Amino acid sequence: MTRAQTDIDAGIADAAIDWLVRLQGETVTERDWLDFDAWLTASPAHAQAYDAVLAFDGRLDLDARRAKAEPAGAPLTAAQGGKVVPLRPARRAWIWSAGAAIAAAFVAGAVLLPASGLLGAHETTYVTGVGERRTVALEDGSRIEMNAASRMTVRFERHARRVHMGDAQAFFDVAKDSSRPFLVSAGDTQVRVVGTRFDVRHRDGQVAVNVQRGLVEVRPNLPRDAAPFRLRPGQGLSHRKGQRADARVSTVAVEEIGGWRQGRLIYRDQPLSQIAGDMNRLFPRPVKLGDAEAANMRLSGVLIVDDQDAMVDRLSHLLPVRTTTTDDAIVIRAR
Amino acid sequence: MTRLYGEKRANLVRVFAARLRSVSEAEDLIQDLYLKVQALGEVEVEGDGSALLFRMANNLMLDRLRSQSRAGARDEGWRSLQGMVLGDQQVADVPSAEEVVAGRQRLGVMMAALETLPPQVARAFTLHKLDGLSQAETAVAMGVSRSSVEKHVSAALKALMAKLT
Repeated sequence: MTRAQTDIDAGIADAAIDWLVRLQGETVTERDWLDFDAWLTASPAHAQAYDAVLAFDGRLDLDARRAKAEPAGAPLTAAQGGKVVPLRPARRAWIWSAGAAIAAAFVAGAVLLPASGLLGAHETTYVTGVGERRTVALEDGSRIEMNAASRMTVRFERHARRVHMGDAQAFFDVAKDSSRPFLVSAGDTQVRVVGTRFDVRHRDGQVAVNVQRGLVEVRPNLPRDAAPFRLRPGQGLSHRKGQRADARVSTVAVEEIGGWRQGRLIYRDQPLSQIAGDMNRLFPRPVKLGDAEAANMRLSGVLIVDDQDAMVDRLSHLLPVRTTTTDDAIVIRAR
Repeated sequence: MTRLYGEKRANLVRVFAARLRSVSEAEDLIQDLYLKVQALGEVEVEGDGSALLFRMANNLMLDRLRSQSRAGARDEGWRSLQGMVLGDQQVADVPSAEEVVAGRQRLGVMMAALETLPPQVARAFTLHKLDGLSQAETAVAMGVSRSSVEKHVSAALKALMAKLT
């Protein structure tokens, strides 16, 4: 997709909006579906226009909801929430990433590979593909939200709940069970919790643990007798696999933890190479870095996940880079 | 049926993303649909298979909405825990200040744009989109037909999207 192609014909855009509003109504019939499907199938531009409208509408919803929850001028604390009674159902995920999600729709679902572990413990491997996200509900009531291109194995034993992360990122919402601690291993790092919410990113030998709620113990390649790091909400730790005593505890914004779950890539002074890696887990067309100067550039900011071309375009406004797009790849170079 | 599912999957996600107002929930729903389709096996389907897929997904969605009050209560439960105090530091689950400011700015621009629209159009949009009334409730509140609400909301979205993107 080039920029010219994303400039969608106004007539198609109008039709896409009519469809969205119709489908958001309470009575959607089989006939509506068949007509809508036929319209989408008639031209790829139709689907593209619809996805753009969906993303626009989703952001608008989110802005409106936030403005209600946080009236202008109010201090930014959660303490005064609850004044506004939401008219919509309480539990709603908000649309950020129509593009990514639609791309994900073409990827096969998570592959489940059950196997008998040692001692008869039940072991299951979960895998997500490029552009795919998945929530896994575990038998103890815990939930794991897996980011794209991730792999992990879950094993429940009598005295422990164990998760082994391969190259993966996941957000954990762990059900409390003090008799069975929840243990996550990522490379040479072990994480131990009882019940809490936290995010673990294990990519390219780098481990980052960020805590949203509860208390999390982390052992980043520590000697046996060393005390673990104890992370509280709003704290994070990062460590490079194989290194010793490199772990640093830093302060993280609680609301930014697991931002990927809402289709946001949030960076605080991260290298462009990491951002390219993240994009390559979301889209099949690879993003490549053309020179070392570009790879070492660092970014602080938020990238909303939608269309790959649009994301790269926004990136070139945030950093001094230029991009070359072909059918097989997007190459980013220093400007 | 599995082949047809493969063809229709992306479009089913699109329909249910609008209905559930969430792409990820729609994806999840359509993932569940796959299990149902698999369970059917390679049966000969009488009539239009595509319509059947929609009906099945629709039923799954209704099942989910029924059980959602439970999940909603659980979410509320932990949300109330978010305003915790650590030492003398308030830890709150709120968007960053920049994000709030950017969101308010977008909303401000949108409100200004809304004012330039015909009053009925702006009212329908405000009630349905900003206040969260359903299209039927909006119709009752305004004393107009549902199809008028649909037309008004559609017109407002077109004008706003043209202005804001």
